[in-house]
Amino acid sequence: MASPPGPTHPADAPGLSPAAPHGGGKPPRAKGGNIGLALTLPGQIVSILVLVIPLLVALYMSFTDWSPTRGSLFDAEFVGFENYSELLIWDTRFLYAVLRTLCISAVCLALEFAFGLSLAVLFMRRFRGKSLLFSAFLTPMMILPVVVGYIFWMLFQSSGPVNQILEFVLGPDVALEWFRSAPLAVTAVIITEVWHWTPLFFLILLSGLNSVPENPVRAAVILGANPRQVFWRVVMPTLKPVIIVAFVIRTMEIIKLFDEVFMLTRGGPGSATETISLYIYKLAFNDFQLAYGAAAAFLVLLGALGLIHLLLLPVRNQLLEVKR
Amino acid sequence: MLSKKLTLFQAALLAAALAVVLFPVFWILMTAIKPPTDWNASPAIWMPSQPTLVNFKTLFDPDALKEYGVGGVSQSATKAVIGSLLASITATTLSVLIGLFAAIGISRYGAENKSTPLVILSGRMFPPAAIAVPFVIIFSNIGLTDSYVGLIAIYVAATLPFSTWMLKSFVDDLPREIEEAAMIDGKSRIKAHLTVTIPLIRGGLFATTMFIFILNWSEFMFALVLSYSNVSTIPVQLAKYVTATAGTLYGVQAALAVLAMVPLVIVGYLIQGHLARGMTFGAIKQ
Repeated sequence: MASPPGPTHPADAPGLSPAAPHGGGKPPRAKGGNIGLALTLPGQIVSILVLVIPLLVALYMSFTDWSPTRGSLFDAEFVGFENYSELLIWDTRFLYAVLRTLCISAVCLALEFAFGLSLAVLFMRRFRGKSLLFSAFLTPMMILPVVVGYIFWMLFQSSGPVNQILEFVLGPDVALEWFRSAPLAVTAVIITEVWHWTPLFFLILLSGLNSVPENPVRAAVILGANPRQVFWRVVMPTLKPVIIVAFVIRTMEIIKLFDEVFMLTRGGPGSATETISLYIYKLAFNDFQLAYGAAAAFLVLLGALGLIHLLLLPVRNQLLEVKR
Repeated sequence: MLSKKLTLFQAALLAAALAVVLFPVFWILMTAIKPPTDWNASPAIWMPSQPTLVNFKTLFDPDALKEYGVGGVSQSATKAVIGSLLASITATTLSVLIGLFAAIGISRYGAENKSTPLVILSGRMFPPAAIAVPFVIIFSNIGLTDSYVGLIAIYVAATLPFSTWMLKSFVDDLPREIEEAAMIDGKSRIKAHLTVTIPLIRGGLFATTMFIFILNWSEFMFALVLSYSNVSTIPVQLAKYVTATAGTLYGVQAALAVLAMVPLVIVGYLIQGHLARGMTFGAIKQ
């Protein structure tokens, strides 16, 4: 690998994650506290002005029936939890958008993990031109999501290269209309997303594999474990925190899936590929139901926080064990 | 791990994977240099027989764009390119500067707010479409809609968690004793940070700057909903081409896409050793 091995060992990887409550592990210093405060002040101010205040405005808005045609936000009528109950009980389009996003996310993450891990394992072998190939395999994640969406939109055109290859393999008359059929459109979105983000799993898992300590592996081999046993019983357990970090990061991003789908299908055909973000976007900017959209966003935020919490649960226990 | 040589089968797998990874990149590069007759040929043309740079010229020439007779996209890409550069460079500079202060504060003085991780996580996970809504309202009240100031403010806030935590991980790697030695020599804390800490993490500072630039340059949603006629960025311009009678402008659009992605891929290769650190908020150091 191009860069030297860092001082990290897998066990402290999740400890540095911002989501873990135990921080970086260094005790805070009493003296110089004012300097510390002063240094973080600009960041705090920006976060409050551009993150906390808009979130609070959105929260307030979600309890009103406001829309831009009704004048000022502060004249809007307070409707309590009406938006929320509407969303949770009656809005099947929202329900389907949530389920669809979850399904697409689950399939994408599973594929990205499988491909990323396979690639990373192959990269543990010796071969020539490794650093060049490493760069090549990282390329997709460096491309803008909008451009990725556009590229795959071109590839999946009915006279595009994907159909051409399919016709070559399966015979003529395959001509698939990728964006006119619901299952095909979903498939196209999944393929795009997997192509785009498998490199991130590959990158994170490879750095994890590179920092697996050698001694337990050697010991297992000496004790007569076969390569498969070594991999599943020795390597994978030490890799667990790294795997969870990868899943948490990807979950946070894929829940918001928007750019690629916007370029590929705009949620179509019908609402076959309408993700949560796309639904909220349409609510707010096509139908001007801003208050309702804000309520939907808070439901999503709560769900996503819960999901991340669940994902982090296993490492949190492991962390405590390590500390004892 | 015990490293063995690649078997033939594994080499074949690797080659197949490489083809899948590189094909879409190849396709966009080829489309960008196709003459108009080849854009949407059926069957699709893989390599243009007469490669041309005319698409790149058309992109910046309003008259040439009009000749294609596509309403609404006759606007040349010049403004989008300038807009993207302006917004990304300004926002990146501010984000890294503010993030650097915060990183030193958190790493060296433990000035970490207990609720910070939650705020960051919430900010990152909140669907941007929804956080854009209050921005639209607030900005329209203070006259920042469709202005670069507003867009840059959002970009700074959106990338601040990344710059802070990535830089913090670099400061964490640096032994405190080095700064303490400088302080014993009579330097103030601030001076010690300026003359010791910051120069010593300049590699990390560069990687972070490039990483934040990638994030800002790629941003689409906020630019989409907060721009009307004054503000434009490359991703928004790309999306506009899709809206107009779809498909007519393949080559021109591909040219813009290539212009947008080439700088990012180069920057990405430069900092590839630090990408994992950036994406995971410094949780994984390679």
